Amino acid sequence: MIQERLRQKAKELLESKAVDLIVGFGEGSLPLRATPIFIRNPQEVNRLIWNSFCGHNLSTYLHKLKSLKVGLVVKGCDSRSAVALLLEKRFKADQLFLIGVPCQRMVDRRRVKRAVQGEILRVSAQGDELIVEGEDFKTTLNRKDFLYPSCQVCVHRMPLRADVLLGKPVEEFSLLETHPEIEEFLGKTPEERWDYFERETGRCIRCYACREACPMCYCTECFVDSSNPQWMEKGLSPSDLEFYHIVRAYHQTGRCSGCGACERACPMEIRLTYLTQKLNEDVKELFGFETGVVGDAFAPLSTYDMGDKQEFIK
Amino acid sequence: MVNGIEIGWEPKILAFLCNWCSYAGADLAGTSRIQYPPNIRVIRVPCSGRINPLFILKALQGGIDGVLVSGCHPGDCHYLSGNYVGRRKSATLKRFLEYLGLEEGRVQFSWVSAAEGGKFSQVVQEVIQDIKKLGPEKRFVKK
Amino acid sequence: MKLRLDKKDFHSFLRGLMVHYELFAPVQLGEGVSVYKKIGDPSEVALLPSNPQKPAKEVFFPQSETMFRYGKVGVQTEVTSTEKVERKRILLGPRPCDLKAVSLLDSVFAGKDYRDVYYVNKRNATTVIGMACDQPLSTCFCSSMDGGPFFREGSDLFLIDLGEAYLVEVLTEKGKAIETNEFLKEADTNDLELAREIEQKATKKAETSLSLEGIEGRLDRMVESPFWDQVGEKCIGCRICTYLCPTCHCFDIVDEDLNGKGERVRHWDSCLSSLYSQETSGHNPRPTNRERTRQRLMHKFNYFPKNVGRIACVGCGRCVLYCPADSDIRETIKEIQKFKCQSSNAK
Repeated sequence: MIQERLRQKAKELLESKAVDLIVGFGEGSLPLRATPIFIRNPQEVNRLIWNSFCGHNLSTYLHKLKSLKVGLVVKGCDSRSAVALLLEKRFKADQLFLIGVPCQRMVDRRRVKRAVQGEILRVSAQGDELIVEGEDFKTTLNRKDFLYPSCQVCVHRMPLRADVLLGKPVEEFSLLETHPEIEEFLGKTPEERWDYFERETGRCIRCYACREACPMCYCTECFVDSSNPQWMEKGLSPSDLEFYHIVRAYHQTGRCSGCGACERACPMEIRLTYLTQKLNEDVKELFGFETGVVGDAFAPLSTYDMGDKQEFIK
Repeated sequence: MVNGIEIGWEPKILAFLCNWCSYAGADLAGTSRIQYPPNIRVIRVPCSGRINPLFILKALQGGIDGVLVSGCHPGDCHYLSGNYVGRRKSATLKRFLEYLGLEEGRVQFSWVSAAEGGKFSQVVQEVIQDIKKLGPEKRFVKK
Repeated sequence: MKLRLDKKDFHSFLRGLMVHYELFAPVQLGEGVSVYKKIGDPSEVALLPSNPQKPAKEVFFPQSETMFRYGKVGVQTEVTSTEKVERKRILLGPRPCDLKAVSLLDSVFAGKDYRDVYYVNKRNATTVIGMACDQPLSTCFCSSMDGGPFFREGSDLFLIDLGEAYLVEVLTEKGKAIETNEFLKEADTNDLELAREIEQKATKKAETSLSLEGIEGRLDRMVESPFWDQVGEKCIGCRICTYLCPTCHCFDIVDEDLNGKGERVRHWDSCLSSLYSQETSGHNPRPTNRERTRQRLMHKFNYFPKNVGRIACVGCGRCVLYCPADSDIRETIKEIQKFKCQSSNAK
């Protein structure tokens, strides 16, 4: 249903030349995958799809399309990234046409893979069920049990800013005070927390997929490549791996939409959203700010309030 | 060794002091002959809002055991609002580092005015005591 | 010579080898993640059905390798090289695709024009115990890249998983040195028959229909084709395909020092990073992902064949499995192969 409306809308936009191109999701070459596609010809709109595997945050492609008028397919999180980018004046509002799709939350292909024995060859989604088939197995899974960690705690599944909304509004969670995973993490001792962080980042291979998949990472010179001053080295020492992830996460303070693209892109399956979600929580608690929710606010770290908390300052 | 810390170990602490207030306050402590232990190394910055979290992290990675960031009291900033923005950065960074598992008290913040030589010395002594209890920074330092 | 190693003896076998050799094998780091590491205890070895994320090239060409250390000792400067390999090594578990890639890297690092001492010393010191691929994935396309799941090229010993035991084929002189290990018994006809069946089944399963015929010439003619806009458009410019690719071999050399003491280190680098071709003037001959992805494909299917005579891809499928944008090199090759030479595009 949404898929039909999406294709129809894309066709309209391209034919009327309201946009130069549509950036959306297409069928992946492997099961459980979708792939970003770029459509300029109205005849090609049937390549657009919408399903449980459309996890990518397509806002990350906007940086390469700055001179064009782009029709961007956005879920809740993607729309918040797009709004955050507008706030940072990366684009003018009239360069973007946001095609909003209410998100049913995306399926984590790695978790599905671990739930079966053998290579997955075909997956079809029917309502709340995922039918997963391999050479010698066929299993039905409940999709609710196989969502991405970032999707599990997502509050704003609706695109909060969209030029067109292609579906009925979905039920939002009531605002979570804190995420269960973060609660659990805070229950550990500092030593246990650091050990976990060190173990996770210890797998890092410095491929920077997390950085490239993130729509908010667009610096022409990333701090890792700075040689004057040189903040850190390029190798795999545990300290450098920790340094990279601490800073990359911290640079998202007040900017992260919680989409989980970083975690999804990582080939070594490093957990990352528990870092950025904590920063998002702190920003909400300290400054009342949520990325991409209020379009006209100032980014929290570039402004201040006389009443900001300072009980930690001697 | 007591509690895993070598007896006689002295922490190395880096103090980022804003030029107009905290650095002047430290200077006043000096001219007033107020004594405090020599564990701190001072880096003078124009404003506490200048502090880049990368400074703090690079210091800890390089072997510094504790960091103090000190600036003007709210309302007194030479650049009007630098310390307010710095306050937001400090709050979020401190919470984040402690969430990750860096010990609470490794990175500390203070407001010290140019007239508060005594307060400066007091703050420094507190920080040194806190770091002495925590021991050398072992988690993040590059080996 | 075909021998049999019962799986119940596997750890003891390895322990015996570790007396004389340093052992490098896949280790599991997370639920779906494994890499090659130096083994401390045989229980760490994780021979999973599929390839570790990081390829076997890492054992000969580490991601970060210190080339030499320097420091002041009094008034003298001391330089210590790290080229020597102290002990003999065994590389256990690489699949035929990774091993084919290592032989490709031999033509780069141990060729007739240049021999990289760090690579060569490790290669010479290592005995390779390769593993047959009895469960090829649908993402594997080694058979289209002059390879196959049971290719023995590059293995000194070749293991085939028979279920309760491994069939051990001794293929080279280096392999012969291990032949006398007490846990290796002679294989019987049942073992040999089972191994043949498994090989046939796997080879059939790994058949793919991807053709590379004429790709080199076709790529020569389509350098300016708008096709590359499509390929580059969805690439996000990370380094996953190059780092996980068993044949990729670009590197950067940096000096890392502090207070008069330091080391020269070689790190993997990636042609997909914009800094890779950035010149000090500020000009970048490969300014966007379009040029960079084009270059990567040209290198694999045009430049390397021209320079060395071999396709620089072994069909392991890691780039297909791990690309965050779900770019599929097999689809890209199919599109390239459809390209017809048009006079306006002719060189």
